[in-house]
Amino acid sequence: MAHFKVKRGYNIPLAGEPERVLVKGTRPKQAAVQPADIRNFRPQVEVGPGAAVKVGSVLFVDKKHPEIRFLSPVAGTVNEVVRGERRRIMRVVVDAASGDDYEEFPKYSDDEIKRLNWEKVQSALLQGGLWPTIRQRPYSNIAALEATPKAIFISGMETAPLAADPNFYMQGLKADFQSGIYALQHLTEGKIHLSVAPDQQDSFDGVDGVEQHTFAGPHPAGNVSVQVYHIDRLRAGEIIWYISPFDVARIGQLLKNGHYPNETIVAVAGPELEKRQYVKTISGASMVSILPEKLDDDEQRVLSGTVLAGTNASLEGFIGFYDHTVTVIPEVQKRRLLGWLSPGFNLASYGGTFFSSLIRNKKFVQNTDINGDERAFVSTGNYEKVMPMDILPVHLAKAVLVEDIELMEKLGILEVAPEDFALCTYICPSKIEFGEIIEHGLTLIEKEG
Amino acid sequence: MSMEQFFTRLEERVSKSPVKWFAPLIEATHSFLLTPGRATRRGPFVRDNIDLKRYMFVVVVALLPVIAMSIYNIGRQAGITEFWPAIWKGLMVMVPVIVVSYAVGGFWESIFAKIRGHEINEGLLVTGILFPLTLPPTIPLWQVAIGISFGIIIGKEVFGGTGMNLLNPALTARAFLFFTYPGNISGDRVWAAVDGFSTATPLATAAATDGNAIEALRAGSMDYSWLNMFNGHIPGSMGETSTLAILIGAAILLITGIGSWRIMLATLLGGLGMASIIYFLAGSSATGMMSLPPTYHLVMGGFMFGTVFMTTDPVSAAGTNTGKWLYGILIGVMVILIRTFNPAYPEGMMLAILFGNVFSPLIDHFVVQANIKRRLRHV
Repeated sequence: MAHFKVKRGYNIPLAGEPERVLVKGTRPKQAAVQPADIRNFRPQVEVGPGAAVKVGSVLFVDKKHPEIRFLSPVAGTVNEVVRGERRRIMRVVVDAASGDDYEEFPKYSDDEIKRLNWEKVQSALLQGGLWPTIRQRPYSNIAALEATPKAIFISGMETAPLAADPNFYMQGLKADFQSGIYALQHLTEGKIHLSVAPDQQDSFDGVDGVEQHTFAGPHPAGNVSVQVYHIDRLRAGEIIWYISPFDVARIGQLLKNGHYPNETIVAVAGPELEKRQYVKTISGASMVSILPEKLDDDEQRVLSGTVLAGTNASLEGFIGFYDHTVTVIPEVQKRRLLGWLSPGFNLASYGGTFFSSLIRNKKFVQNTDINGDERAFVSTGNYEKVMPMDILPVHLAKAVLVEDIELMEKLGILEVAPEDFALCTYICPSKIEFGEIIEHGLTLIEKEG
Repeated sequence: MSMEQFFTRLEERVSKSPVKWFAPLIEATHSFLLTPGRATRRGPFVRDNIDLKRYMFVVVVALLPVIAMSIYNIGRQAGITEFWPAIWKGLMVMVPVIVVSYAVGGFWESIFAKIRGHEINEGLLVTGILFPLTLPPTIPLWQVAIGISFGIIIGKEVFGGTGMNLLNPALTARAFLFFTYPGNISGDRVWAAVDGFSTATPLATAAATDGNAIEALRAGSMDYSWLNMFNGHIPGSMGETSTLAILIGAAILLITGIGSWRIMLATLLGGLGMASIIYFLAGSSATGMMSLPPTYHLVMGGFMFGTVFMTTDPVSAAGTNTGKWLYGILIGVMVILIRTFNPAYPEGMMLAILFGNVFSPLIDHFVVQANIKRRLRHV
């Protein structure tokens, strides 16, 4: 057990935190699983429109490794396979029937789980559709089947703005979480590291088989990269795995109940929502089932995930495969007159160039406005202040822009993920898309290597 | 017709007309009047309200006290003792210089923006005002035009435009005038805005004396006392005279986080440190610059103006935090060395900063290599 204090970082003062209330959501009429949520993934769809599926029936598999399966979260009929640009498969949508009909998987008691081995746990997770919940670094892809991770990291805390708090939605799931940990122990010869916030950890206290750490400090203290960097830094050639605490509990549920665990909890957050709360629903549920009906898509942006690391979803969309937060923020509506001249009592900013910086602890309604045009890099020195790792953000980004793979690796690109640069992008006066640049760099290395 | 429609139509017409080279100027005006209003496509989906316009605007705000003091001081040094007439005189001298600087600068920016197919960069806002402030009030306007042209074309655009330039464009412009027309801008004499008046600068006075520097400063036609030099009641380049006004600007840059405190502090420490070493090694019998107390360097010549507004230019300065320390210290030390040991240039700030600019990529290179070595050592 170790305590870490992350000093560099920033909590974006965004209004609209979810209240700590858990309600049961209405049963979604549709649910979907989205290959687009998974990095560097090509699906092979196994069902067509009209096919009858149970909870846990295969919808699609990994083209390269067909053992990696994605299962239906509801029982019902496949509605459509949605394709995007260049016929890329975006999602498989299933119409939910009234009842739940489950595919059956093997069941184990806790003692039996403890006596399983690598092969048995892996095949149970592959068959039960939860293998993809384990991802690896570098690259954030689904855990490679033959890989041996030096450790598994679980972040039991979230520091991104408006993000669902794992300590809250993990309440009452300690037994399942514990069973999941027993299963994960077979998958690594190293340790399982669980990081929690210092004041929000009762859902995780006393769990057996993990090394528990606390991380204090602003975002991105809750990011896996930051925790790995502080606990057991990634060296060249090494890999680690990471998984969300909720998915650890789902592994426990799968192994104990023999059913694909299709329930999830998401926080619905956003500055202009009337009801901001945690909703218990089905994983991959349609957004309409958890958001207010009168929401106007033109005025509000619906995101699956947080404002930092989420993806565009829209009201017709679905909850993403890895997401526990649904964020709704106002869409930018108009061009403002002389925006650069305004005193800015209501304008959020990291630095001190607006009068809003005189008001402490104020939260702001922020919309999707980029608030400026893209310009050349200006080394303000602020990027380093929001990067709690020994990484030089500007130099790394420039190495990617000139596609110098050797230099990127030397500057530590394999230790990071695009989400770690979200704050750099947020505070950038030149409006540089750091996340996009880092993603490009990682993709380049994967292709060349 | 809304303002947006008006500009859209104007941009269309201009881009098809013979004056299409100035379309970027219209675009720039448009984007100054109205925020772009573009929405995020990917995370982070919310963005900070700061952009480069705000960033540069804050620098201009920080320069306002300097500009105000400068306007007043131009009138005073021209021998006008009453307040408003002095201000009027100052405006008559300074406004044309600023207008020429911005107009000629904008001309070149527009042409390069058109060639490169991007928008005019806001850096001009700062360059266009910094450059006039480094000039004496008697500067001929045609020299202002030539200077800013050189600064923008050679100092910035040949490197690929804003963000790519090695040297501070405003200082490049000044350096060009300094070496091409030394009769109008040299560092050892200054002019007030009246015909035929010129006098030795404090630095030239201190360098030329055979006796104690402080005594020489007080003995000439001007009373170069420390306080007078701090307040700015002395002739000099338009923006450099009042250390007090510069410090107010520094406070604005530091509070808003726009200016790097590391660079400012490092330059100050480098300068004070070097000056102290020389002063104490030289001992009490020293003469000339050797006998100048370290604190005098801060209020003389362009030291503070350069420290606050020129070294901190984020593009030509070192980009890494460690690099900023080294860069600042290097400049501070260089100024004092040039001032003390190079009799040809009693003012050393401009050359020291340009020197620092040239070395900043090298400094950053070593900092980056150190980062790489730390990572390798970890492996």
